[in-house]
Amino acid sequence: MKAARFDYERPADLAGALAALGQGGAKPLSGGQSLGPMLNLRLARPPLLVDVGRLAPLRQVEEGAEGTLFGAGITHAEFEDGAVPDPTPGFLARIARGIAYRAVRNRGTMGGSLAHADPAADWPTTLAALGARVHLAGPSGTRELPVEDFILGAFETALQDGEIVTGIFVPRCSAGARFGYRKSCRKVGEFAEAMCAVLADPARGVHRLVIGATEARQIVIADAAAATSDPATLDDALRAAGLAADPASLRLRQAVIRQAVAALEDESLSA
Amino acid sequence: MKPIHIEINGRAISAEVEPRQHLADFMREELLLTGTHLGCEHGVCGACTVLIDGAPARSCIAYPVALDGAKITTIEGLADDPVAARLREAFTREHGLQCGFCTPGMMMMARDIVLRRPGLDEGAIRHELAGNLCRCTGYVGIVRAIKSVAAERMGEAPVVTRGSEVAPPVYASPLALPVAPSRVAAEAAPAAPAGAQAPGAAPFVAEPLRNPVEIVEEFDVAAPRASVWELFQDPARVIACLPGARLTEPSDGRSVVAEMTVKLGPIQAAFGGTGVIAADPANWSGTIDGRGVDSRSATRVQARLNYALTETGAGAATRVRVEVAYVLQGPLAQMSRGAIARDLAARMTAAFAANLNAAIKGEAAPAEAAPLDAGSLLLAMVKGWLARLFGRG
Ligand SMILES: Cc1cc2nc3c(=O)[nH]c(=O)nc-3n(C[C@H](O)[C@H](O)[C@H](O)COP(=O)(O)OP(=O)(O)OC[C@H]3O[C@@H](n4cnc5c(N)ncnc54)[C@H](O)[C@@H]3O)c2cc1C
Ligand code: FES
Ligand code: FES
Repeated sequence: MKAARFDYERPADLAGALAALGQGGAKPLSGGQSLGPMLNLRLARPPLLVDVGRLAPLRQVEEGAEGTLFGAGITHAEFEDGAVPDPTPGFLARIARGIAYRAVRNRGTMGGSLAHADPAADWPTTLAALGARVHLAGPSGTRELPVEDFILGAFETALQDGEIVTGIFVPRCSAGARFGYRKSCRKVGEFAEAMCAVLADPARGVHRLVIGATEARQIVIADAAAATSDPATLDDALRAAGLAADPASLRLRQAVIRQAVAALEDESLSA
Repeated sequence: MKPIHIEINGRAISAEVEPRQHLADFMREELLLTGTHLGCEHGVCGACTVLIDGAPARSCIAYPVALDGAKITTIEGLADDPVAARLREAFTREHGLQCGFCTPGMMMMARDIVLRRPGLDEGAIRHELAGNLCRCTGYVGIVRAIKSVAAERMGEAPVVTRGSEVAPPVYASPLALPVAPSRVAAEAAPAAPAGAQAPGAAPFVAEPLRNPVEIVEEFDVAAPRASVWELFQDPARVIACLPGARLTEPSDGRSVVAEMTVKLGPIQAAFGGTGVIAADPANWSGTIDGRGVDSRSATRVQARLNYALTETGAGAATRVRVEVAYVLQGPLAQMSRGAIARDLAARMTAAFAANLNAAIKGEAAPAEAAPLDAGSLLLAMVKGWLARLFGRG
């Protein structure tokens, strides 16, 4: 199908973008890799798209001792190729490589992926596991939220009207940090049916585990030392989230969690 | 219309574009560059892959209005490209195509793969090629062709293109025709009001559902069964409890004509439809059959809802059990992915239960709870299609 009519603006700076987004029904556009399909299928019919993906602050990367602030408009391919610095021992590139297909990764952005908040997408789960923070700018100023407070449910975020994601701050990991990640997809590049990310960074005392592809809000275990030594303890969390109803899908989720945890110990298992 | 300057296959083009026109349509229809093919038009099949500033991208979900200043290369623009020439020979030798529909996109991707990852093995080629679908060849010949060219390039420095950093290949092709007079899109017909396509005229006859999705939900309402039952017999009141739904015509208690708007993230749908209601007072249960159409996306939904009321809390409260079965057809179904419904279903049910409680106590429904459509799409089923909104193509 073809998109319904919309108007398009590409403001030169952030202030201009926020002003344009103040108009009723306006939607930000970054890589268009999720919005484009929805426009074409007419599942989304915004009257106005405001192109924000190439605004200077969204294309910047700021390195600090504590971590790296990535502009929201950095693409999956830029992470994949190591075109931007990585405050983790290579985790971001590894995850980026598994998102969609190269032709999609060349345009899709980290900020767009978070704002879209597809529960089965790779960045929301990965970034929650890394303890990342989302930087937002809106008509009433700027603010920051941890990823797990930003994502409220399937396709639901804490974004207020006229507010955009400007950047994502990823804390620096110690050199010995390990990351286990598994997702189960029917086909390469398809959205996942089960997903789990685990970060073990003992030097910083950080053990985090996130279960994604939940069809709802992700499950974030901020102190996951116990869960990583015995993944079966997560069954209660799965049950509480209503993910235990279908035995086949529960087994798949359990297997994906076990494999993600196992991948912590044995890097050769890493996807 | 917006003015843009764009370079296609080495030719500078100035044009006025409709923002909603995607790049593939712009090139095929305005420039008569029909080498770029369109399959799914939502990013999944790869047939429309072109190079934007040298990097492969889907032209069906890129819009020229947002590509001012970009350099585009289509399959026509690769006529004189040495790597593409090697790939063409290899595709011919290995039978890398049958009908040829996927081939332009395959060539674009294949060229990027062998440049970016010289010498990669078959497993890696299949992985890289996963976003280009071919319904004819079974991929064996395509993979073999790419493998042979990748092997030739073993040891060469990778050429990685992501965007404008690396100069894109530019070849003025004899096939790149000058711009044809821009065809101004005819004025879009005014959007039909939601529900306009509802099959309201003909009396609705419930049909058996084929391979439905089934959802069961239970919740408690703090009121005796008789008063909950009474409410359930009044379609207008039930509908008023479902967020976003309203009756579009007064109900005779037997049938309903309703509409329901759903908004989740950027997705919006407005279903209009009709339903018939049947009650079984002896068993405190009933059935609602319905069907509806989202006039924007032309998605159709057909559904059956059973409800049953049981007493709990020594008669002070009522447990409401709803079983919903529904079938979706059309774009939303195409986007659908399993059970994302659950989250929405839970939120909808919570809102419905809260509104039902409020309604029974005689309070106005909370502000958010716009009217609901009991008829064609009660509750869980609503969730159902909602749910389906969110799949992926
Ligand atoms: C075929 C296909 C397969 C895919 N497979 C995967 C996959 O396996 N894993 C995965 O994670 N993703 C996948 N994706 C999605 C892809 O990663 C998208 O790039 C990403 O979800 C959205 O990023 P974008 O920059 O394209 O955002 P857009 O499509 O431009 O925008 C997406 C949404 O976010 C909003 N938005 C955009 N930018 C901002 C901002 N800065 N602030 C606030 N709101 C904003 C938009 O209004 C829109 O609602 C796939 C996509 C396709 C087409
Ligand atoms: S037509 Fe563009 S990806 Fe299918
Ligand atoms: S050759 Fe027919 S689709 Fe690939």
